Amino acid sequence: MSPQYPVCRAIEPDLLSVAAGEAGVAAAGRVEVHVAGCRLCREELAHYRALEGMMDTLRRAPLPDDDATLARAQLASRLADLRSRLVGFGIFSSPLGRILIGRSEQGVALVQYLPARGSLPAHVQRLLGEDAVEDRAATEGLRAELVEYLEGRRARLDWPLDLRRMRSDFQRRVLEATAALPYGAVTSYAGIAARIGAPSAVRPVAQALRWNPLPIVIPCHRVIGTSGALTGYAGRRVELKQRLLAVEGVKTVAARNDFKVDRGAMYTMVTGDLEYCIPTCGSLPSQSMSTLTLFGTREGAEAAGFAPCTSCRPDLHPLPA
Amino acid sequence: MGRVMAEDAFEAVVGAHHAEIRRYLLRITARGSDADDLSQETFLRAFRAYRALPPGSNVRAWLFTIATNLGRNHFRAQGRRRRAYAAAALELRPDAPDRADGQVLADETRERLERVITGLPAKQRLAFIMRKMHELDYSEIGASLSCSEESARAHVFQALRKVRRGLDGHLPIGMESRS
Repeated sequence: MSPQYPVCRAIEPDLLSVAAGEAGVAAAGRVEVHVAGCRLCREELAHYRALEGMMDTLRRAPLPDDDATLARAQLASRLADLRSRLVGFGIFSSPLGRILIGRSEQGVALVQYLPARGSLPAHVQRLLGEDAVEDRAATEGLRAELVEYLEGRRARLDWPLDLRRMRSDFQRRVLEATAALPYGAVTSYAGIAARIGAPSAVRPVAQALRWNPLPIVIPCHRVIGTSGALTGYAGRRVELKQRLLAVEGVKTVAARNDFKVDRGAMYTMVTGDLEYCIPTCGSLPSQSMSTLTLFGTREGAEAAGFAPCTSCRPDLHPLPA
Repeated sequence: MGRVMAEDAFEAVVGAHHAEIRRYLLRITARGSDADDLSQETFLRAFRAYRALPPGSNVRAWLFTIATNLGRNHFRAQGRRRRAYAAAALELRPDAPDRADGQVLADETRERLERVITGLPAKQRLAFIMRKMHELDYSEIGASLSCSEESARAHVFQALRKVRRGLDGHLPIGMESRS
């Protein structure tokens, strides 16, 4: 029932406040004076008090379906998943320009060369999504090791890796085969295709390496064309590939818009053999690049566990430095 | 290190507030499965935003704001189906166990009350439930509904008037003296 007189309409909000127990002293006083002389509003106040009482009962009453156990358990597992995917990243300057390193609970999830220009926050968000958080402390140790690596003072980056950014099982196989290439060695895209048992999948191998989320750590720079041309790296930044190879002792010569590894200047072995040779040993000059692994230095080949060939004796007749 | 501590703190937030937020969502959606989904979503969003929350913030009110927004999006997506669900849920509701003879609130009246609340316009209903069922203050309700404290109070009072009209003839006057 709505109040009929202007004075009753005016007092109504105070009346609601009094019923709800929210009224200040002044409003309570106004209501008290009014209801003393107004029967309708007295009844109205009683109604609202009764309603407040019902709400109070309803609030305390058990709710059907009020069991949060399942939702709580599901939430715990989704939070754990979200946490493990959360990437903390750091951005550092390096001899190869600005580099981003991102790591999750599982391990290093992303290494990226950053563009010299353009909005960095937008770029990072595109790479990592909105959940990424800058965490230099968590990536500082990685940065220090990476710089040592780029300066030739470290040959391995034994980092735990988070490989969940792989696009497919095929890409995972390609990158695993690439990760197995020794420091200072190069092979060809066709060579990787052969190693994973898909010898005709040369272009898919190149694509899979193009989307390598962990360049340097997974050394896709050690994979080159069968002609010896470096062919591509980090978009159009093939000079980075040349510098990484130079750090590892792999010499290249400048070619048109590219660099080239000279097969004739590399220690050579048939992939799967245990001995390395000079490039003119036996039938090596006529072998397809897809079957070969090349080393820039003898030290590189021997550090990888290979012995000098007992026929051509690269240990006694090394290539000219 | 900072993140580890923040994560422990978030565990405490879940422990302290998840059950109540789910209850709130259960009241506004009237479906246990919706309350499950939306309460999880509330806390996943909260987790993402938690590290940016200024220290000393009112975490409970902040969670109500997230849950309220998710609830409103949910209503928009569901459109008219919501009322059908709510009505069905009320009809299928089993009797609460061990109800005492002297139960003040008759089942019929209680169902009528819930039905009236379900029929309120969204903002009034949410404001009403936050105030009367979860005892949030008007500034917190205003923050949840992106309106002023005064508007929040006006929503609650408007809801009160409608509920009172909807229960005309069913309000047990003098109930307090009987208990």
